[in-house]
Amino acid sequence: MSSITFLETQKDEYSILEEWLKAREFIYVGSEVKRIDALEKVLGKAKYVEDFLVDGLAYARIVKSNIPHGVLVSVKPGRAVEHPDYIALVTSSDIPGMNQVGYYIPDQPALAEKKVRFHGEPIALIVASRPRSTEELRELVEVEIKPLEAVFDPLEALKDEVLVHEEHGSNIVLKTRVRKGDALKALQESDYVIENTYRTGYQEHAYLETEGALAIPIDGGMTIILPGQYPHLAQSIISRVLGVPQSKIRVIQPVIGGGFGGKDDMMPIVGAQAAIAAYKVRRPVLLTYTREDSFTSHCKRDPAYIRYRSGASKDGKLTVVDVDIVFDAGAYANRGPFTLWRATVHSTGPYEVPNVDARGILVYTNKVYQGSFRGFGNPQIQFAAERQMDELAEKIGLDPLEFRLKNILRPGSRTSTDQLLEDSVGVGEALARVAEKCNWFEKRKNYGKIVDGKAKGIGLACAWHGISTSRGVPDWCNAYINVAKDGSVTVFTGIVEIGQGTHTGLAQIAAEALGIPLEKINLVGGLTDAPDTGATHGSRGLSLGGTAILIAATKIKKRVQRVASRILECSPEEVELRNGWVYNRSRPEKRITWEEAVKRCYAEGEDMAATGYFYMPKGRFDEDKGRGFAYIVFSYMVVAVEVEVDVETGLTKIIRVWPAICAGRIINPKLAITQIHGAIIQGIGYTLMEEVKLEDGRILNPNFTDYLIPTIADLPEIEEPIFVEDYFRFGPFGAKGLAEMALIPIPAAITNAIKHAVGVKPSEIPYTSEKLFKELSKRWQG
Amino acid sequence: MIPRIEYYRFGTLNEALRFLRNNPDSKIIAGGTDLIIQLRSKKVEARKILDISRVSELRYVREESEYVKIGALTTIEELKNSGVIKVYAQPLWRAVNNFAVWQVRNTATIGGNICNASPAADTVPPLIVLEAKLKLQNIERVREVKVEEFFKGPGETIIEKDEILTEVVIPKKDSSWRYSFIKLGKRHSHILSIVSVAAGLKIDDNKIEDIIIALGSVAPTPVRAKSVEEYLRKRQATSKLIEEASGEVVKDIKPISDVRASAEYRIEMSKVLVRRALNECLKAYSHGIKSG
Repeated sequence: MSSITFLETQKDEYSILEEWLKAREFIYVGSEVKRIDALEKVLGKAKYVEDFLVDGLAYARIVKSNIPHGVLVSVKPGRAVEHPDYIALVTSSDIPGMNQVGYYIPDQPALAEKKVRFHGEPIALIVASRPRSTEELRELVEVEIKPLEAVFDPLEALKDEVLVHEEHGSNIVLKTRVRKGDALKALQESDYVIENTYRTGYQEHAYLETEGALAIPIDGGMTIILPGQYPHLAQSIISRVLGVPQSKIRVIQPVIGGGFGGKDDMMPIVGAQAAIAAYKVRRPVLLTYTREDSFTSHCKRDPAYIRYRSGASKDGKLTVVDVDIVFDAGAYANRGPFTLWRATVHSTGPYEVPNVDARGILVYTNKVYQGSFRGFGNPQIQFAAERQMDELAEKIGLDPLEFRLKNILRPGSRTSTDQLLEDSVGVGEALARVAEKCNWFEKRKNYGKIVDGKAKGIGLACAWHGISTSRGVPDWCNAYINVAKDGSVTVFTGIVEIGQGTHTGLAQIAAEALGIPLEKINLVGGLTDAPDTGATHGSRGLSLGGTAILIAATKIKKRVQRVASRILECSPEEVELRNGWVYNRSRPEKRITWEEAVKRCYAEGEDMAATGYFYMPKGRFDEDKGRGFAYIVFSYMVVAVEVEVDVETGLTKIIRVWPAICAGRIINPKLAITQIHGAIIQGIGYTLMEEVKLEDGRILNPNFTDYLIPTIADLPEIEEPIFVEDYFRFGPFGAKGLAEMALIPIPAAITNAIKHAVGVKPSEIPYTSEKLFKELSKRWQG
Repeated sequence: MIPRIEYYRFGTLNEALRFLRNNPDSKIIAGGTDLIIQLRSKKVEARKILDISRVSELRYVREESEYVKIGALTTIEELKNSGVIKVYAQPLWRAVNNFAVWQVRNTATIGGNICNASPAADTVPPLIVLEAKLKLQNIERVREVKVEEFFKGPGETIIEKDEILTEVVIPKKDSSWRYSFIKLGKRHSHILSIVSVAAGLKIDDNKIEDIIIALGSVAPTPVRAKSVEEYLRKRQATSKLIEEASGEVVKDIKPISDVRASAEYRIEMSKVLVRRALNECLKAYSHGIKSG
């Protein structure tokens, strides 16, 4: 079951990675080097998409549907044509190629055609000669829509009374299933079985910088500057929409003001919209979304409805997980097929469960569509799984920590899909260490009492997260390294710096592999001139991006060793590269500088450029049986959270968080910590306050006055993270993914702590102060 | 988008008042932290805007023998940093300390916070409790009104089209008063109130001699909790009595449900916050803390 297929053509690459995994001493790996992009940001010199001023620039805004579902009758510029700044109104009929920007299922137009399917859907683009006029002009555009009956509730949509996509024949986009053992039998035979329903809401990415793209027509093609997360995906989608070969589409990444997954999905779409406008008006066009546009029209974290049954034996072993997951796709499938699949696989939590039946349904509704967001379908299901663990522990009469420790995944365990985990499973150790550090048993004993109207509680939760693409979905990475004659090094990667610091980590990897100072590395990333490295998402940027760079750099290193061995009178294996010196390991006084070595390589016929293509080994998942290989490796996270609840108002204060992460080798602890902090903060918002309020599909709070994200006053003390370095053999030096991890267990950890504090059973997030207050009132009255 | 508008700015009160007399359909802008947003969302329409932000003669905090006077253009941040406000207008000082964000406080003015007439304006319940008056001036005359009589509804006041709010006058009260201000929002800072409560209590020998309570965000205008006041006036202050009295607040408020909170939650929170505000005042007595 679930064996991994290795490629004969990748044998050298496997051995390079294996060799580095054995390394024990490092100069740059594991060190807190300063971010290479820090200075230009601090000085205000960093250039964002709106900072690129080009001649003849025109400005565009989207014209949106103000109806959730309807037939698009006509779109006319109306009185806009009389305005001196008016240039054009761009509609679907102006699209030279295919009006199709769907990610996996071709169901989504760049600009609405024939129908609108959600309130806020882009219908047209208004182009003006001055940015200010775009606002005025778009209100003059005359849009005629014949309203259709709409469906907003995904459970309602399952009845197929109103179809969001008639041509699809049903609102069910697709179904997923994972099966193992005999869940039905186990439910009947288990000593304890409990069932609960959980709900989670939309989450808005709320990045500082809203969407924007600058399209410049050049030589029968187009150059697009856009702050995305996967330049080559934007390239292929823009190529499809313009009907121009991909090689004619050049995508350049400016500095980005936050991504979190949202710009992975949105920027190919927004880039395509800008390109369509530029194509029509034959001049450069800057399309930007206002904050309100961003709220109304960009994808959000998928709302989920989860019915969860799980069972255990008297001795505290999990026997079964049986779960139904409904993900609300909104108007388009976008990434839903993948977020749902991820949720289905991860539905057991990081535990050994002998019997599993997890069923997922992705369903269309007439609302803003879902998309990638830090955690990618997993925070929803880990909330349910880890709330359920606390409820089940209570039913059995076990401490939640002890219950988890009895069932936690360890090396040699089999996952929900019956995949064998041979190594890189540090979560058991992480759990034990977090519990010890937070003084778990004492706090569990002492908290949970009301003192002066306030009650403290402590809760914990675990999470697991598959790294790289799932199942047999191909995943690869690449890099191109060029050593100049003076010994300076340019590293090209498709991986994007989206604020997480990955480019610094990647430069560290290159410097480590070549044994040269970090300053010699010029890291060029996130543009289509670099090789396709896959997306900067799924916590894969540093891990997969780093693997490719490590391979490319090692190829060059071996060439330098070969040439230097002749000068240093030793075998190539004995040549060390360190600190800019190339020397004989047994006679270190025999040495030349890196620059000298490079010069000799050029003179003696060695290629000083290399690529680092790596294809991630894959296994097979049997869709019919619902079993098999799911992910090449998992990262793990454990958090304990201490809260204080004001029992009279329901306001929850997070006091302290103890994080532990198993992400393999930590390349740069400082970067790791900032990612953990950011993810915890985003998790707190998701759990306690972030709520998209909708009325007939219209978002009532498309602003930061009423869509609340945490402020500094809402933040807890975050303890130093515990790093359990459970190395991954295909990661650079053993590194796995990290950036998403800390968010995933936060909703369950907080709500478990609230339960400990005041005894309520949170089953829905955001668990706002008003919701908690209502629960408390019910308990006290009842 | 902001529609095309005519914009006028003057450096003196006199010029501004004269302009206003001749252009009574103008909207007045000071800090602009409310108006700009309202224009953008079309909650407010204006063809002409009168910018008074440079009328520097209206920017002061002045201590006189019986009054503290605040120029209407004084910013929230200036109030926060004012020792006079901290001593003589304690509930106001507490309100401005938990008021929006620093950038907004630097621009927003007390006059604007009042004239915008939001039911959630955080400076207003404290001013009601302090029995402050507002000076309204037109080109010919000045009149004074009580703060609590100034509001008619959300965004509506009794101000005439040719008048400018020039000054907030806070009487210095005798030192036996104790004050508090509490605000509840959906997060711990930078937040619009779900409910806010200001309370003032004058106690002599554990007997409540006088009392004023005002709430924000629970009615079309900031309101006095007169039922609670009457319940407590001239009675011995005990925690049981305060608990009972706090429940009376439901008679004084008419909250609505909106994106921030339901009416039911606002009602329950009004009771809690009134009790807490009164208990804080009592606690200040027992600790001998003077408010002014």
